[in-house]
Order: sequence, then C-alpha cells, then structure tokens
Amino acid sequence: MTRRRLSSILVYLTILLVMAICLFPFWWMITLSLKHRVDIFAGPSLVPPNPTLDNYAQLFNQNHFGSFLMNSIIVVVFSTGLSLLIGAPMAYSLARFRLAARLNSLGLMAALLVRIVPPILLVVPFYLALADIGLLNSLLGLIIVYTGINTSFVVWMMQSFFAEIPKEIEEAALVDGDNRLSAMRRVILPLAMPGFAATAIFVVVATYNEFLLALTLTGSPKAQTVPVGISTLIGKTQVDWGPMAAAGVIGVLPILVFAAIAQRQIVRGLTMGAVK
Amino acid sequence: MATPNPTPTPGAARSAPWFARVERGFPYVLLIPAAIALLAVSVFPLYQGIEASFTQFVFGRPKGSAGFDNYINVFTDATFWDSMWTTVRFVSIVLVIETVLGLALALLVQRELKFVRVFRMSIIAPMTVAPVAVGVIWRLMYASDTGIVDPLFVALGQKAPEVLSHPETAFWGLVVVDVWEWTPLLFLLALAGLQSLPQEPLEAAVVDGAGPFRVLREHTIPLLMPVLAVGIVLRLIDAIGTFDQIFVLTRGGPGTSTQLISIYAYNTAFNFTQYGQGAAMLVTLFVLVFALMMVVLRLMKRAQRVAG
Repeated sequence: MTRRRLSSILVYLTILLVMAICLFPFWWMITLSLKHRVDIFAGPSLVPPNPTLDNYAQLFNQNHFGSFLMNSIIVVVFSTGLSLLIGAPMAYSLARFRLAARLNSLGLMAALLVRIVPPILLVVPFYLALADIGLLNSLLGLIIVYTGINTSFVVWMMQSFFAEIPKEIEEAALVDGDNRLSAMRRVILPLAMPGFAATAIFVVVATYNEFLLALTLTGSPKAQTVPVGISTLIGKTQVDWGPMAAAGVIGVLPILVFAAIAQRQIVRGLTMGAVK
Repeated sequence: MATPNPTPTPGAARSAPWFARVERGFPYVLLIPAAIALLAVSVFPLYQGIEASFTQFVFGRPKGSAGFDNYINVFTDATFWDSMWTTVRFVSIVLVIETVLGLALALLVQRELKFVRVFRMSIIAPMTVAPVAVGVIWRLMYASDTGIVDPLFVALGQKAPEVLSHPETAFWGLVVVDVWEWTPLLFLLALAGLQSLPQEPLEAAVVDGAGPFRVLREHTIPLLMPVLAVGIVLRLIDAIGTFDQIFVLTRGGPGTSTQLISIYAYNTAFNFTQYGQGAAMLVTLFVLVFALMMVVLRLMKRAQRVAG
C-alpha cells in the first residue's frame, strides 16, 4: 500500500516536472517582453522588476505589427471560411455515398497526401505561379494558396464527422418528404456543427501559424502576416531582445487562448483524427 | 432504403424524372469544388516544379530549357549531400528520442489521470503555437548575453555552452527544441493507443507470471505498434520539412552544421534565385517523401484493420 502511494507520488512529481519543462520557456519569453532593456541585460530574473509595455508599443509604432495582425486576421478568416465551403460538400459526399471508381478512398487519400506534404516542396511552384499572375505580395494570393491547402484538411476531418452522424436520421427526414438539400440543411448541418467548429478551430490555428509560404509569397508589410513579421525582427547584425519577445507573445497568445478553450478539437486535428 | 447508393429516394421518385437524374449525379457534383482545389495544390505544383527543374533561370528569369543540368548540378554538389546527411541525422535522432520519451510518459501517467485536463493543456502548448514562435522562445533561452541556458550551466558549475555559437552544440540545441515541441504529439498518440488496448492479453500475461518489463516488451508494445507507427511516420515526414524554427534560430549555421535540406533548398531558390536548381532539389526530395507517404497509407490501413 505504501509502495503504491510512493510510486503515485513519483508519477505526480514527474508530471509536474514535464509541465514545468513545457511551460517555463513561455514564461521566460513573457517576462522578457515586459522588461526594460537595462533589466534584460542585468542578469536572469524570473519576474520583471519594473514591468513595462514599451516593447509592445515599439512593435506597433515602428515595426508594422498593426498591419501584420490585420493581414493575418483577413487571411485566416477568408481562407478558413472558403475552405470549409469548398471542402465540406466533398467530405459529406465521401462519407454518405458509395461512389463509383473507388472515389471514396481515392478522395480521402488525396486529401491526406496534400495535408502532409511538407510546405517546402510547394514553395518554388507557388512562387513562380503567383509571380506569373501578378499575385505575389498580395493578400489575395495568400488566401488562394491557403484555401487550397486547408481544403485537404477540411475534407479529411469533416469526412469523419459526417460519418459519425447516423444515416437513419437523414433517412427519416427523406421519408418525411425532404429532398437531399433540405434534409442537409434541416438535419445534417445542425448535427455537424461541432465538427465544423472543431475543423474551423484547427484550420484557424494552422493558418495563423503558417510561415514558410507566407515568407516566400510576400515581401512587405502590405501582405506579410504575423509569423513573417516576427522573422523580420531577426537578422541584420543585432537582435533587439525585448521587442522580439513581445512579438513572440503576440504570435502565441491568440493560439494559446484558443487552445485553452478547445483543446480536444486541437488534439484531434494535430493527431489527424487518431485521438478523439 | 439504403443510402450508400444514390438510388432515387421516395421523395424524388414522386417528382419529375429529371429530378431523379439530378439526384443520381448529386454526390459527384459535391466533389467538384474541393477536387479542383486539391488538384490546384498538388498536381499543379508538382507539374510546375518538374517543369522548373528542367528550366534554366538567369537572374531569376526563365531562359529556356536546361536539360538535366539542374539535376547534374544538384547531384554533384557536395553541400546538397551534406545537408541531406544533416537532415537524416537530425530526423532520426529526434524521432527516436520523441518516440521513446512519448511512450515512456504515456506508460507512466496512464493510470494517474486525475489532472489530465491541466496536464494536456500544458503539454499541447509547445506544438500548438507557431513554429516561428517556438524558434523565438528558444532563441531567447539560448541567447549568450541575455538567455537562461548559459547562466543555468554556470550555476551548476559548468562552462557556459553558448549553444548557438558552435556547430555541434547548435545541432543538439535544435534537437532539444524539436524534442520539446513534438514529444507531446507522440505522447498523446501513445496514450490514446494504450487506452484503447484490449486488456485481456495483458492480464493473462500477468497471471502467467510475466514481470512488468516482459509484459511491456512482449505484449503492450507489439499491440501498440500499428497505431503508433502511423504517428511516427507522420512525424517523420513532418520532421524532414523542418524549416521555421531553424530559420529563426540559426538559418543553417554556424557554417552548415544545422543546414537541413529545406533550408538549403530555400537558400538556393530564394537567396541565390536559382529556382531551377532549387526545384530539382525539391523534386528529388519529393520522390523520397512520396515513398514515405505510401508507407503511411499502408500503415493506416493496417492500423484500421487491427483497431476495427
């Protein structure tokens, strides 16, 4: 009995240690973002001695973070909305009908493959294509590219949500005199709402975080998103640590708030649906 | 009335015949928008990439066919092979560490799940935030003048490592970052797998007198493998493309010590505007990644058979 309790204590100590390792780097960044320049160089301290918001003010006044945030929001909203609109019908079709030519598994496979291709393999073609049609360094170009990529994720994830809705409910609606479209609107859509929410949450997070494509396809604060904006603070000869920490906080804060509200959905997305 | 086949529904049968025909095509019409979008981000870039890899670019502008020149340049380029080797080394090291750590953690906490919500919340934070932000976070930790890692080593009576300033420590510094960011993913997958395992074979083994390590080696891990393998290969593909964190932390340096293939291909295409050579590199890499993707599909089918 005591041995069991001892091992239990050890397990909890390990859990605490793992949590500390996961969270401490975030804390370090937050404290740096609230420190004056002198305090940053005054040796390590775990709490800012004279907290200040100067670093944040500098980002918005001198480093275009207002535009970066605005660009990110526009790109995220439009590409998430469009990819749901485009991807959900395919997901529904794949989940509900037995299609000819093994389209059901082919469609899912295609979605999965597009989803897991490392973005580095796509940058050169996308760059050349957007250059051809004059959409480099534009929000529209980014929205088009992200919508395409996000569609793969919507198809993959929504298919599993639609498949979880019992067919009988839909059949009952059809017997009641609904046609396919009205049954979809009256019965399926309300039941699929949690699925839409989970999918949207994951797509929002993935789009807000995306860096490599945004880095190559944009070139000025006119179209650059937050991650690219963060990277513009680095380089040249010296790094200004305070503003960089503040930029990092701006990069992670919306996502962490999201994750706190919807961790189940995010876990499901990150594990490609393996963890429900 | 079976839905799997798009046979006319009672409602449709009563209406005009044209409507029944429309309904039969309905499931296929639903596919069209997404099919176009998916082709636009898969087949199209592949085609464009292959085309670019056979094109000669001068100052970033296409100047006619290059034949196999770009490929020859890539394959005879020592730096290309160097960064391929760095990639292989990086990916295999992080995968082994992340899998072992993730599995160990999952085994440890699987019976003590009182705080699972708080625990999961903190453990998913590193992999949920932008990889660029992960880079920033660790840049702040590693910084030689203002960071926390160097003072920590000094406090423990060691020499300050100045992680990002030396080739070998920079490489291992990036390994640490990747392990910090992605071990949670393998932990979650392993935990989900453990919780879905059938209990009977495990209990039977215990009854037969097998010790905990034998149960683990001979029963738990083999049962877990089909599910875990999918996660490992997905992570493998993802790790091959690691870019953002390295771009923020070292840009491939010092020297070429952390120059993974993604960083080198990016530099070739966008810093030196050698789009043709960059594309040739990426087409080569794509062939490798595609082979891995086929492995994923096979593993997923097998995992489904085992689970279902």
